[in-house]
Amino acid sequence: MGGISGQAKPVKSLVSGPVAGIASFIIPGLGQILAGQFRRGLLLLGSMGSSIMLLFWRAHLLAHREIGVFDKFVKALNRRPFFTGLLIACSVFLWVWNAWDARRQTRPDRRGGFGIFILIILIFFALGWQISQIDLYKMVVELPDALPPLSKVLWPWKAAVTRETEVVSAGADILIGCDDNPPLLPEEVPGKPYLMADPTCGELSRMDESNQVVKGSTLTLTGRGFAPNTETQIWWADSMGNEFRPRQEREYVTVHTDENGAFKLKLIMPYRLIPPSAEGQQIHRVEARQISAVGNLIIADPLKLTLGRMAETIFMGMMATFFGILFAVPISFLAARNLMAGSWITMSIYYLTRTILNIIRAIEPLIWALIAVVWVGLGPFAGIIALTIHSIASLGKLYSEAIENIDPGPIEAIQATGATWLQTIMYAVVPQMVPPFVSFSIYRWDINVRMSTIIGLVGGGGIGFLLVQYIRLLDYRSAGIAVWFIAITVAMLDYVSSEIRQRFV
Amino acid sequence: MLEIKNLTKVYDDGTVALRDLNFNVESGEFLVIIGLSGSGKSTLLRCINRLIEPTQGKIIWEGIDITSAEPAQLRKIRRQIGMIFQHFNLVNRSNVLTNVLSGRLGYVNPLTSIYHGFPEKDRKLAMQALERAGIADQAKKRADELSGGQQQRVGIARALMQQPRMILADEPVASLDPVLAHTILGYLESMNQDEGITVLCSLHYLDLIQRYATRVIGLRDGQIVYRGSREDIRRMTDDEFKEIYGEEAVRVSAGRTEKGVE
Ligand SMILES: Nc1ncnc2c1ncn2[C@@H]1O[C@H](COP(=O)(O)OP(=O)(O)O)[C@@H](O)[C@H]1O
Ligand SMILES: [Mg+2]
Repeated sequence: MGGISGQAKPVKSLVSGPVAGIASFIIPGLGQILAGQFRRGLLLLGSMGSSIMLLFWRAHLLAHREIGVFDKFVKALNRRPFFTGLLIACSVFLWVWNAWDARRQTRPDRRGGFGIFILIILIFFALGWQISQIDLYKMVVELPDALPPLSKVLWPWKAAVTRETEVVSAGADILIGCDDNPPLLPEEVPGKPYLMADPTCGELSRMDESNQVVKGSTLTLTGRGFAPNTETQIWWADSMGNEFRPRQEREYVTVHTDENGAFKLKLIMPYRLIPPSAEGQQIHRVEARQISAVGNLIIADPLKLTLGRMAETIFMGMMATFFGILFAVPISFLAARNLMAGSWITMSIYYLTRTILNIIRAIEPLIWALIAVVWVGLGPFAGIIALTIHSIASLGKLYSEAIENIDPGPIEAIQATGATWLQTIMYAVVPQMVPPFVSFSIYRWDINVRMSTIIGLVGGGGIGFLLVQYIRLLDYRSAGIAVWFIAITVAMLDYVSSEIRQRFV
Repeated sequence: MLEIKNLTKVYDDGTVALRDLNFNVESGEFLVIIGLSGSGKSTLLRCINRLIEPTQGKIIWEGIDITSAEPAQLRKIRRQIGMIFQHFNLVNRSNVLTNVLSGRLGYVNPLTSIYHGFPEKDRKLAMQALERAGIADQAKKRADELSGGQQQRVGIARALMQQPRMILADEPVASLDPVLAHTILGYLESMNQDEGITVLCSLHYLDLIQRYATRVIGLRDGQIVYRGSREDIRRMTDDEFKEIYGEEAVRVSAGRTEKGVE
């Protein structure tokens, strides 16, 4: 900005001080422009204009029901007095300061000063804080909520093994929406577990317009004849027979049987969307299940799935690197300036190739994966396509730069011996290409395996696919197993790739 | 042995590097080309084996016009003409033996040589060439592990492998110190005298020229401005030398000053 560099040739002001001040009071920055401080004026106009627009936008969000601008600000002030008040005060102050600044800028000896810009930066900071929903209070207060999942992720091995199980269960039918004849309780068979619900009808939990859960009816569940002193899971099955474990306070509902194998618990009927097409009586079922481990330790599903997906991930990275190299090698010749400098035709091929490579490289592999999922469907193949596309572009660029950097000396020396074109390539070009080629390819393989661990987040297969499912199911232990294996793989890869690089380069 | 007729080279950017050159090279000569940096020495040497395509003129090698030779014929001619470079032009990552063996590429089967298959007698020849250059013990080292002087000896061994009838040497000692310069030129001299290999060499320093040349051609701006016999050079004074080189030249031992060095 003109103000800071005092040595710039002095520009004469077009207007007198008061006129500049008034001009800036009408349109911020205008006075500075008239005073010959063109860039300072534009900067003020741009930054004040955008900060005031942002302020209006935030006020509108806080009070979208109000109609008049004034009403909106009053409502906004009521809802967030500190934030809105501070910003309004700062803006008004800034407006006045800007007019005063314009007056000052007309005097050649009093030009410059960047205090006003510090204030603008402060205003943007306050806006940014609010817009990006930074909430330190929540961060501190709700920290304890993060600890249980964190500890499960850090030490997930309880979920890695399991024993063969035997299920003891009993259930009761529940009618959705009470009418005159709710379902009868099941008959109690001596020697078998028995579950009784009271009442046997009620309303499910549901969501209101603002996505808040409205609690459903509360059932009292009484169980008898179960194994004593054992953890018992509560399951729910809807009228279609889909089973799930209801949660209360984020935890799965479980209960411990007493020494007689009995329990009693209150269950709020869970949230379940009933399809609009469903007709007639909706009979759901609540079940109490005891799962007891019998037999030997076996590898649990999360570990089994993780191992399988991990292998898939490594091979995805490998295949993508392989295909990437395959296509990048020929393309890199087209993108090497020294090889394409021959004529305007080859030069335009060079520029075209370079441009396409740059565009492809600028798009993240995750975005390519989204496109590939639409193209070939969910799964590792989509991930391979995405990573291959990105690998071709980035390897193509790296290889072509390696070709551009080879030393022409050995080429002419080998040609001078009477060697053929192929011999020249093999003896003079290839030896020079090997180190950058190996090192770039390994580097890319490294990146591809890392990328394929997360490409599953968008449906591109691999371990990320599993990880995101576990996280959505709040199954932090299983997620932890996946995280551990990702870390182990990446560490191993680091080691292997640096070893290979040392061998070859 | 070699006739240069009306040789002209104009680069794509319009630079006229050689203008209508005419001279002959007799078998067994040690012909030195002198001239300032940019006078066209490298261009001339590279036109002879067509590493650079001449624009006009004829280059007759043993009665055959190199400028119109077919690719196969050109390769046959090239393999009879060894070449040595200022910056050695070795393949740095290959070992010394492979670099030397590559001098044999014009003779061996083009297909088997691709995976580094050379006949046993070529390998023997390579070891002999290395022995002759005094670096047989370095055969298994990578080329870039050697010193400059050793690298140039590998360059000479590579040229020897071609069993050449002529050697083109483009400022072979310009990046070496004076003692090494004499060693390297000594090898060229012995090849010239013992085996009758014709040498066409560009050099910078008057004392080296006086010591080794049997004939001298002076270039300036792509034109021949001086032709001298062995006796002419021995008698040459600094002032005459300056006339060819312009004011920049000084009589120096090779390498002691940067002046005039490319
Ligand atoms: N590839 C090229 N393209 C254009 N001009 C060149 C090229 N190579 C050399 N020249 C020019 O040709 C002239 C002779 O160069 P060169 O043969 O390298 O001279 P010397 O080896 O005597 O120093 C110089 O003016 C140089 O700039
Ligand atoms: Mg030169």
